Amino acid sequence: MIKRSALFAGPLTRGWARLRAWSWSRRSTPADAPLSQHRLFVIPTGFGLAWAGLILILFLFGTNYQNNLAYGLSFWLLAIALVALLRGWRNLLGVRVTITPEGEAFAGGEARLRVRLAASRDRQALAVCLGRRLGRRAGRRAGRHLEGHREVVDLVDGDASLTLGWPVSARGDQPLPRLRLESDWPLGLVRSMAWVESPATLLVYPRPGPSTDAAMLEARSMDESTPQAGPKTPREAQDFAGLKRYVPGDAPSRLAWKQWSRTGVLATKHFSEPPTAPTWLDYAAVTGDVETRLSWLCYQVNAYHRRGEPFGLRLPGLVLPPASGSVQRRRALSALARFSLDSASEDAAHGGSDDGFLGKSSSAAPEAGATGSDARAEGA
Amino acid sequence: MSESSVPVLLADGESLSAAMLRRLFIGQCLVLGMHLAFMPLWLLAVAVLVAWRRHRQLIERAPQAGVVLRLVSIVALLGALWAQYGGFGDLEALLGMLVGIYLLKLLETRTRRDARVVIGIGFVVLTASFLHDQSIVMALGALVAATWLVHSLVMLSGGAQARPLRVAWRETAWLLGLSAPLMVALFIGMPRLGPLWSLPTLERASTGLSDSMAPGEIARLSRSDARAFRVSFEGPVPAPAERYWRVYTLTHFDGKRWSRETPEALAATLERPLSDFAKTARRNPFTADTARSAATDQPGGVTGSGSTSGGSSRYRAEFLLEPDSRPWRPSLGTPLASPERQRFFGDGTFEGVTALSSRGLVTLESSGEAPAFADPAGRAWHTLLPRGRNPRTLALAKRLWRDAEGDPEAYLAAVMARFGEAPYRYTLEPPRLSGEHRVDAFLLDSQAGYCSHYASATAVLARAVGIPARVVAGFQGGERHPDGHLTVRDYDAHAWVEVWHDGAWHRLDPTSVIAPERIEQGTAALSAGSQAFLADAGLSPLRFRDVAWVNRARLAWEQLEYRWQRQVVGYERRDREALLARLLQALEAPWQAFKTLKERVSSLVSSGGVGALRLGAEVLGVLTLAAVLGFGAQAGVRRWRRPSTLRGLLLDDAAWLAGHGYPARPGESPAAHLRRLAAAKPGADSSGGESSGGESSDSEPGLAGGRGADGQQRQRDLESACQALAEAIEQLYYAPLDDSQRRRWREVFHTRRRHWRRVFLRVSRCRGGSAGRLARWRQTWHLGR
Repeated sequence: MIKRSALFAGPLTRGWARLRAWSWSRRSTPADAPLSQHRLFVIPTGFGLAWAGLILILFLFGTNYQNNLAYGLSFWLLAIALVALLRGWRNLLGVRVTITPEGEAFAGGEARLRVRLAASRDRQALAVCLGRRLGRRAGRRAGRHLEGHREVVDLVDGDASLTLGWPVSARGDQPLPRLRLESDWPLGLVRSMAWVESPATLLVYPRPGPSTDAAMLEARSMDESTPQAGPKTPREAQDFAGLKRYVPGDAPSRLAWKQWSRTGVLATKHFSEPPTAPTWLDYAAVTGDVETRLSWLCYQVNAYHRRGEPFGLRLPGLVLPPASGSVQRRRALSALARFSLDSASEDAAHGGSDDGFLGKSSSAAPEAGATGSDARAEGA
Repeated sequence: MSESSVPVLLADGESLSAAMLRRLFIGQCLVLGMHLAFMPLWLLAVAVLVAWRRHRQLIERAPQAGVVLRLVSIVALLGALWAQYGGFGDLEALLGMLVGIYLLKLLETRTRRDARVVIGIGFVVLTASFLHDQSIVMALGALVAATWLVHSLVMLSGGAQARPLRVAWRETAWLLGLSAPLMVALFIGMPRLGPLWSLPTLERASTGLSDSMAPGEIARLSRSDARAFRVSFEGPVPAPAERYWRVYTLTHFDGKRWSRETPEALAATLERPLSDFAKTARRNPFTADTARSAATDQPGGVTGSGSTSGGSSRYRAEFLLEPDSRPWRPSLGTPLASPERQRFFGDGTFEGVTALSSRGLVTLESSGEAPAFADPAGRAWHTLLPRGRNPRTLALAKRLWRDAEGDPEAYLAAVMARFGEAPYRYTLEPPRLSGEHRVDAFLLDSQAGYCSHYASATAVLARAVGIPARVVAGFQGGERHPDGHLTVRDYDAHAWVEVWHDGAWHRLDPTSVIAPERIEQGTAALSAGSQAFLADAGLSPLRFRDVAWVNRARLAWEQLEYRWQRQVVGYERRDREALLARLLQALEAPWQAFKTLKERVSSLVSSGGVGALRLGAEVLGVLTLAAVLGFGAQAGVRRWRRPSTLRGLLLDDAAWLAGHGYPARPGESPAAHLRRLAAAKPGADSSGGESSGGESSDSEPGLAGGRGADGQQRQRDLESACQALAEAIEQLYYAPLDDSQRRRWREVFHTRRRHWRRVFLRVSRCRGGSAGRLARWRQTWHLGR
C-alpha cells in the first residue's frame, strides 16, 4: 500500500505541479505589459457578500410592506454594486507594472523591489502585495514571519512607484516574486486582482553572519584586532599622490580648496595608501558546513571592504586576486552567492582551478545591486 | 475642503481618523433626520451623546467604550423606548430600537470594517424610514442620505490620495449616475410579489370621519386641511354637484347622536348571520342578490355586468387613500366592483380587508347613485326612533304628512321646501344645543347649523312618518386639479340623508337647499371668512388660495405629489404589466417594418435579374449613405477633438507617427524626429520602418529599387516635406519672432503640416499592408502578439 502510494505520489505530485504551473501561466501577466482583461480577476469581498445580504433584506422589506421606495433602494444598491464591479475592473485594466530590484540583498534579510505602475489615466487605491493572504490582512504581519507585504498607491497623472520589501531566505539567483496587484476601489464590494510575474532574477548574497564556531571566533578576534590599529591609516602616514579632477561623491575633506581658489578648477587630493599585506579569505580555512562558511566569508568581505583593505578570495574552483573597492566586493559577493559545491567540484574536475582570474559565473555583471557608486567605480 | 488632506485612517493603518468618524456621524444624522419627524426627539440626544463620547475617546484619549458602558447604554435605550411606547410590540418601538442601536454602534466603531458595518446598518435604517411616509420629500431626503453613505464607502476604500474628497465625489457621481438607469429598469421590470409573511405595521391615528355623528363632529373636521384621499377617473368626471363620496351610513339614533352599527353589531342585535350584512368579494354581492330576487325575467343579466340593478357602473375611479387606522373606503355612489377583494356591506358601503398603514391605491367601479337594493337590516330598523324624544318635531312631521296627504314624495318635498323657506341658515359656528330634545331645539328654535344638523333633522322627520331613512357620512366635493384628479380633504366632510321609496334609496341633501353654494363650490366658498374654517391648519397654503401664484404653486406641487404617489409609490404589478405590454406594442412597429423589408427583399430577389440589380443598387445606396454619415461623424469628432495649441498638435503628430510604426526616441524633439525620418526613409522604404528591426533592412533597397522612379520621387517628396516641417517647427519654437512673423510662420506650419501628412500617407500607403493597423488593434485590446 505504502509502496503503491509512493508509486502514485510521483506522477500525482508531478501532475499537480504541472497543473499549478499551467494555472499560474494562465493567471499571471508578464511585467511591463499592460494588464489585459484575460488576466484580470474580480472576486467579491466579505463586505460584498454582506452587501448582497443587505440587498436581500431591503428587497424582503419592500415585498412585505409593499413599499416601493424600499424596492427602489434595494434595486439601487444592486445597480450600484454592478457598476462598482465594472468600475473596479476598469480601475485595473491596462495598468503596466514594472518590477526592478533596488539595492542589494542578503539572504535572511529583505530585498527591496521598486514597483513602477503606469497607466493612461488616473487609478485609485492600487495595492501591490506579496504573499498569499488576501485583502487588507495581507498588510498585517502574522507572528514573526514576514508573511505578506502590501503597499497602496494611487496613480496620479498616469504614473506611480513604490518600494516593497521582499524577504529572501536563500542565496543565489532568485527569480523575482510573483506580485499581486489588487484593488477594492470604489466601494470595497469586489476586489479586482491580477498577478504580475517578472522574468528577471535578483542575485541574493549569502547571509553575512559572524559564526559562533570556535575557529571563526579565533579568526574574528584576529581581524577585530586590526580595527584597533585603525581602519584607515591616518592621513599623515599616507603619501600625497597628486590631484585629480573632482568627481561628485569625493570626500569634501579631500578637496583641494587652495587649488580651487587659485585656478577655479575643483580638484581632489589623492593619497596613495601604504601597501599592506593582502589578506586571503579562504573557503578552506573556515570550518563548518557550506552555508556557514559562505556566511562567514560574506561577513568578512563586507568587513574588509568597509575598512578599505584589499583582500583576495579563494573558493573551490575560483580564485579572486587581492584587490579593494566596490568592484572587488561585488565580484566576491557574487561568487559567494553563486557558489555551489557541485559546480565547484565539476570545475575542479575540468581543471578549472587555474590562473586565478574571475570565475565564469561572476563574469557577467550582476543585474542587481549595481548602485551608482559601483557603476562609477567600474567606469574609473 | 479644509479636511481634504486628512487621511481616512490614522497612522497605524487600522483606526479611523477623526475626519472619517465625522463623516460617519454626519451620515447618521442624515439618516436620523429621515426618522425624526415621526419619532421621539430624544433620539437626537442619543446621537449627540454618542458622538461626544466618541470624540472624547479620539481626541482626549479616553479609554474605549467598555462592555459595561455599552451594555448600560443599550439598557438605557431600551428603558427609554419602553417608557415611550409601553412595550416592544408595535412597530414604532422596534423602529426606535433599530435607530438607537444604529446610533450606539458609533461607540465601538474603530476600524474600517466597523465603519462599513455602520454604513450597512445605515441603509437598513434609511429603508425603514419609508414606513413612515413615501412622499417626494422623503425620497429626496433618502437620495441625499444614500449619496452621502456611498461617498463614505468610497472614501473608505480610497488610497492615500492627495485630494481624496474630490476623487471620492467624482467616483460617487459616476457610481450613482451609471446605476440610476439600471435602477429604473429594475424598478420597472422586476416582478413584484405579494407580502411573503405578515409583519407588524405602524399604528395610524384615525383621522377624518368617525362612525358616529353628534352635532359638532363635522365642524371639527372643517378645521383641518388634511388630505382624505385623491381620486382620478377613467372616463367621465362627475360634476361638482354629483360628487357625493359615501363612506358610512349612520342608522341608529338615540335622540342625540346618530351612530353607525357595524355589521357585527347588527348581526348580534337582529340575531341574523353576519353574512347577511357583510360579504367579502370582488363584486358587490348585494347588487347581484337583489337582481336575482327582483329580476327573474332577465336571465344572464345577473352575472353579465355585475351592475344590473344597482345602476350601470358609471364611474371607474382610482382612489389614492391616506393611511388610516380604520379600513374605510369612499365610493361615489354604490360600490360595484374592484380588482381586489373588498368587504361589501348591505347598506351599500364597503371597507378594505385591512387598514392602510401607508398610502394605498384602490380601483373601484361605482354607480354614482344611492343603492337600489334594500338594506338587509330591514324597514323596521330604518324607521326606529327613540321614544319620547323631540315631540315638537314629531308633531311637525304629522302636520306635514297630513298636508302631503300621505304621499312620501310630496312629504319629502315639503320638508325640503320648509328648509328653503323658513329662516334657516348655514353656519359652521351654530349656537350650542343642549337638553333632551336637540332636534326640536335646532329645528324650531335656533334654526342655524350645518350639514349634520340638517341631515339629522331630515332623517328624524322622515322616520317620524314611517319612511325608512338613514344618515350618510362622507365627503362632498373635492378640488379639481388641472390634470383631472380630485383632492378631497377633511373639510369636505359632509352628511346627508338617504330615504327608501319606490324600491330604491334616494339621496336627499338638505344642505343643497339651504346653502347650494356649499354643494357647488365646496366648503371654502361658504366659510372663507369663518374663524372655525381651517382653524387647526396653521399656515396652510390653502389659506392663500386667493393669491394667484401661491395657489398655482400649491396646485403644481400637489399635482407632482399626486403623480409621485400614483406612479412611483403606487407602482404595482398591474402597472408593470401594462407598461410591458405598451413596450411590446412599441417594439411591434420596427418589427413590422423589418418584416416588410424582408418581404420586399425576397420579392425583389425572386423577380429575377432586374430585381436583383435593383436590390443591389438599393443596398449600395444605403451603404453609401451610412458610410458618408459615418465618415462625416468621424471627421466631426476629429475636428472637435483636434488640439489647438502647437504643443498639442505636435503631440498629436508624434502619436500619429507612433501609430504608423515610427515612434519618437526617448528625449527626441519633434523636429529631430522628423529629420531622422527624412534621413531614414530611403533605407527603410516599404519596410516596417525603424521599429521592424534590422533584419529586413537588407532586402529593402532591392524592393525600393524595384519600385522604380515613381517610388524614388515620392521618397524625395517626403524627405523635403519632413525637412520643411521641421524647419517650421524650429522657427516657431526657437526663433525670436515678432507677432506678424509668428503669424506667418504659423500659417506656414499648418500648410506644411497638411502637405507632410498627405505625402507621408501616400508613401506609407505604398508600403501597403494592414499590418500596422492590426498591430495597433492588438495593442489596444491587449491581445499579445
